[in-house]
Amino acid sequence: MQIQPTPKTYDVVIVGSGAGGGVAAHVLALAGAKICMLEAGGWYDPSKQSAMFQWPYNAPHRGASTREKPFGYFDATLVGGWQVPGEPYTSAPGSDFRWWRARMLGGRTNHYGRISLRMGPYDFKPYSRDGKGFDWPITYEDLAPYYDKAEELIGVFGTAEGLENTPDGKFQPAPAPRGYERLIKRACDKLSIPCIPSRLAILTKPLNGRPACHYCAQCGRGCAVNANFNSPGVHIFPAMKTGNLDVRTGAMAREIVVGSDGLARGVSYIDKKTGRDETVYGKVVVLAASCCESARILLNSKSNLFPNGLANSSGLVGRYLMDTVGSSVSGYLPILEDLPAQNEDGVGGMHLYMPWWLYQQQKAGKMPFARGYHIEIGGGRDMPGASVFGGSERLLGGGYGLEFKRNLRKVFGCNIHFSGRGEMIPNDQSYCELDPNAVDQFGIPVLRFHFKWSDDEILQAKHMQETFQEIVTAAGGHVTLHSSAERNWGIAPGGQIIHEVGAARMGDNPKTSVLNQWCQAWDCKNLFLTDGAPFVSNADKNPTLTITALGWRTSEYIADQMKKRNLAG
Amino acid sequence: MERRTLLQVIASVGGAGAFATETAEAQTPLPAAPAAYQRKVFDDHQWRTVHVLCDLILPADEHSESASAAGVPEFIDDWLDFRKEQDGTDRLETEILGGLSWLDRESNHQFQKPFADASPAEQKQILDRIAWPGRAAAEDRRGVTFFSRFRDLTVGGFYSSKMGIADLPYLGNKAVMDWKGCDPEVWAVIESRLKNGYKGLGGEVKADG
Repeated sequence: MQIQPTPKTYDVVIVGSGAGGGVAAHVLALAGAKICMLEAGGWYDPSKQSAMFQWPYNAPHRGASTREKPFGYFDATLVGGWQVPGEPYTSAPGSDFRWWRARMLGGRTNHYGRISLRMGPYDFKPYSRDGKGFDWPITYEDLAPYYDKAEELIGVFGTAEGLENTPDGKFQPAPAPRGYERLIKRACDKLSIPCIPSRLAILTKPLNGRPACHYCAQCGRGCAVNANFNSPGVHIFPAMKTGNLDVRTGAMAREIVVGSDGLARGVSYIDKKTGRDETVYGKVVVLAASCCESARILLNSKSNLFPNGLANSSGLVGRYLMDTVGSSVSGYLPILEDLPAQNEDGVGGMHLYMPWWLYQQQKAGKMPFARGYHIEIGGGRDMPGASVFGGSERLLGGGYGLEFKRNLRKVFGCNIHFSGRGEMIPNDQSYCELDPNAVDQFGIPVLRFHFKWSDDEILQAKHMQETFQEIVTAAGGHVTLHSSAERNWGIAPGGQIIHEVGAARMGDNPKTSVLNQWCQAWDCKNLFLTDGAPFVSNADKNPTLTITALGWRTSEYIADQMKKRNLAG
Repeated sequence: MERRTLLQVIASVGGAGAFATETAEAQTPLPAAPAAYQRKVFDDHQWRTVHVLCDLILPADEHSESASAAGVPEFIDDWLDFRKEQDGTDRLETEILGGLSWLDRESNHQFQKPFADASPAEQKQILDRIAWPGRAAAEDRRGVTFFSRFRDLTVGGFYSSKMGIADLPYLGNKAVMDWKGCDPEVWAVIESRLKNGYKGLGGEVKADG
């Protein structure tokens, strides 16, 4: 490839603008580095583009999900989903993996659930605890100060609980629970399952000029006042105010350009507007394109020096890909029928959740699977949409006419939902690689996925099903939707929970890891990763907060090493 | 209404007024309300049957008008076309059109006129056979499957319409400055039910032990 000389060399080139790219840009721009950020999608500013307060009847097909908008018409993800036009991927025979991508400024931080759980001390040393998977090269104590910083910047509500392996954080006050949530908590109390205020990146007090939440429950549509955490509003725009950050949208990264000294020189990308190849040069390259996209860029960065792709002397780029174990149950609580009207919207998500609680039973060898899950809950009087009653026949046994209509009014909001989110242990059969045949519309080789659950995950899903049904019953309700053995206990296909991490793991040995403990490539000292790719394990704690904390730690290290001139040739 | 609520939020936020004029312009473009709905699926006869059937399922009462007054036939016609495009199959459309024919056949057989022309009492006589899956006769199974599907479409279309949402005890989608959790009066009702038991739609719910 012929490289067009460009006059400007940035201090740092960042690929990706989601949680990982955003935090790197924020920390490094405030530290004075001159940065160029590449984003494959378009510009997005929730303060101007949010669809909050819209009604379903103002949207095509009442806002139903489509291939183009899997989370519905009003979802903040303007371009993205499990299929992106012109950007295919493939699955190996026998594997079912679905790769979500958000092609927009801020990436997945625009629509995500804002669940912000710290990994605990056990989660960094899982191999030491049960002999499965791998240990991280860092401890909880190494990351704790960065969890503090991350929470204080993005704003997370919660409560101090002191529970095992469930570290408390720098929390804003938690919002009071909804009625059905209090009933679920009563049921959990009976079953000795802890049910505590959730921990979400939504403000309940003003922070850095951002107002507190106004409780419209539609965080997923983007928040016009930035009361929730999203990378554009919280990381990128403040970073741009320093004058140190240039953002290039519509810039689809192809590969990392490497010099004859083996160091990264910059990133070559396709400018989607002109269709032309461009290169942006930097002294340091930070990949934060999302776990699988970053692996893809590394594998596509082939050169004489790095014939197997950049940072891949271990052969581990793409390996040990993980998602989260997900399984769901729905129930119906008759006690909620025909209650007086009240606004149950609240924040965009649950006000209570259940952290994993069976650590001691596991340690004592009394559980049939390793690792745990937390429980996310939903229900109540949500904004009605086209699937408002989720099958009225299931609720009322049938009917039509005046009495049927009267009864529907009474059963509105009586459904409750439980979703488990559990840890997947990395395995040899779950990975991504370059497909030898297929390319995308830009001619870039695409990923081929291999994915397998082990018995640990399947049995965990079984435990979820049994537990959630117990909770529904203990709350005085009946189960309306569940899964059983023939459907593998309802375990969601790989990638469907959109928590993919791994694929370029960190470690303390260059032969068995891609990155060192600073998320710095062993093979290329001025190349860093700040997305989910460095994850060594995938605890049941949703990844975004850890991506943010780890990215912060990596970015501080980059700033320090640049100052000491340790990253140059 | 939407714009005013949004501006109230923004007005309450010090320093955020700069984007007050732009914020209400959601980037996601909203389609202009069509002057007259152009049917995509149903023919004239089916259209008439759909109106009759929707209004038998959700008639007008003291809270709201009927399903057809809320535009449910239009919703269903559009939904069938939408699913065909999204799913790459006309399975749902076929099921619904086939079900409408089933109604006509039953009505012709019993009353010598198509379903839409039968009297309300005659129409209900047919629906009573298929509206409760648990007690329907085996030979009516196809009618039952159709009617359950059609009823869900009617319910979904009605309660996601402006009229239907207003009918439900839903008070959200607005800015709340001070979130207090479950309304104490509502919680008092729940507690009294927990203590004394509750006669639910599906029968007695026992008091808490």
